[in-house]
Amino acid sequence: MSDTGQQTTDATARVTVVIVDDHDVIRVGVRESLEKDIEVVGEARDVESAIDAVLDAKPQVVILDVHLPGGTGGGALDVLAEILTGPGSPRVLALSVSDSAEDVVATVRAGARGYVTKSISGPDLSDAVRRVASGDAVFSPRLAGFVLDAFGAAGGEVAAKDEDLDKLTAREQEVMRLIARGYTYREVGAKLFISIKTVETHVGKVLHKLQLSNRNELAHWAAQRRIV
Amino acid sequence: MGVAFLAIAGVLIANRFGVDGLEPWIIPSIVFALGLALVWSPLDRVTLDDARRPKLSGLFERDAWARFLLGLAMSIGVLWWFAMWDFTEDPVQRAVAVPLVVLGAVVLILAPWWLRLIRQVGVERQERVREFERAEIAAHLHDSVLQTLTLIRAKANDADAVTRLARAQERDLRAYLYQDRRTEEESVVTALALAVNAVEDAQGIVVDVVSVGDAPTDERLWAAVKAAREATSNAARHGIGPVSVYAELTAHTYQIFVRDSGPGFNPAEVPSDRLGIKQSIIGRVERQGGAASVQSAPGERTEVSISVPREVQQ
Repeated sequence: MSDTGQQTTDATARVTVVIVDDHDVIRVGVRESLEKDIEVVGEARDVESAIDAVLDAKPQVVILDVHLPGGTGGGALDVLAEILTGPGSPRVLALSVSDSAEDVVATVRAGARGYVTKSISGPDLSDAVRRVASGDAVFSPRLAGFVLDAFGAAGGEVAAKDEDLDKLTAREQEVMRLIARGYTYREVGAKLFISIKTVETHVGKVLHKLQLSNRNELAHWAAQRRIV
Repeated sequence: MGVAFLAIAGVLIANRFGVDGLEPWIIPSIVFALGLALVWSPLDRVTLDDARRPKLSGLFERDAWARFLLGLAMSIGVLWWFAMWDFTEDPVQRAVAVPLVVLGAVVLILAPWWLRLIRQVGVERQERVREFERAEIAAHLHDSVLQTLTLIRAKANDADAVTRLARAQERDLRAYLYQDRRTEEESVVTALALAVNAVEDAQGIVVDVVSVGDAPTDERLWAAVKAAREATSNAARHGIGPVSVYAELTAHTYQIFVRDSGPGFNPAEVPSDRLGIKQSIIGRVERQGGAASVQSAPGERTEVSISVPREVQQ
């Protein structure tokens, strides 16, 4: 399953992860599909044990299911509130079975740096973990589509300045569109004649906007999930 | 409670020995207040447990009845005294004031009971609705998920069939759980999703559909959806999965991109008698004033771009 591990292991060091999911089958599946350079240092099945496991094992990345039992009922949000305490906190990759990105936007706004669905393939998941570990954002096609929708890109809204948190710049929209079409970051770069690093920068900015924007659509979804 | 009884005793004693200098209405007022407290007191116990789910059955245990009746008797006694009281010489004033005060007092005595009754009815209705929903869900799960699981068990040796069944069931369940169900005519997002699902079922592949923007499906959008269906079907037959479908609807155009994961081909080398791309994809959208193109090369991914203009409806 993870025969490609050797090829994809480059100069980067091993990545440590904690897997949080209330279904045993999913946890086992995720652990086995991760490639060899990613080391699972802990597992948890509810909010309390997740907080303990993360504070205990201090992983670089937490793979976090959006829906979790325990805590105050907020699922992943409860965990994020406890483990994202400042510099040195682990980075979080949200894992969801749900098709609706609305379900995940609250998690992203609470600090997760990416979102993948549980149907993701092993190599893709490993890539996503490495990407998150190195500080980049991970956008699945669905999340990219959701971002375009939520930021009114289809309605022709374009940010005039980079600092406008409520709209995407023309370049960011192009990048999001290609990701929604199923392009990898490398393919996006090739198509737009920019480097992967630049693609990552654009995606990072979009993540930043997704987390901080006060656009009505986003605020609405956040309110539904009881976060501000 | 003890305090209340002490107070009553105090009032009775004060009454017996007579207290000078007091307005005549003070003692009846105190008695009435105590009566109210006694009438309301059984309700305390109910709200203590859980304010949202009162237990009316537990209301009249032990001395609750006694307190209620005693309070009622005290209140009625005070009202009786009030009706007899000559606080004014004017009979008209009395005729107006007495019924008003008595009515107010009765409302005061009954108000909490009345509110509780309303709340209880609300809680019961909520429970009935919840029960009904649960039965609905159970029925749905039985008709869909359980049936599919039985089928899967029966076909355990046929991996393709199992994959297809599982995928179809997953989609059905997702639609049930997450989506408001709109028809193909109302929503081009639904139309595209259903078209792609049909291909998934027929070819046994996985297709990710992402849609941005939505509108009722008019003739042009239908043409684009059908072309996308054909393109997805081609991708499933000639390419490898997963296949991505991305659709974006703006005020002016509707664009769909269908992209497989390889292995690609040279579009120039497709024999001219193969009509799939030419007729079903390009021809179909060109008749609607749109355009479609295929980008591919051997060893690369193939992407079909479909675009139709929109009639702007105001």
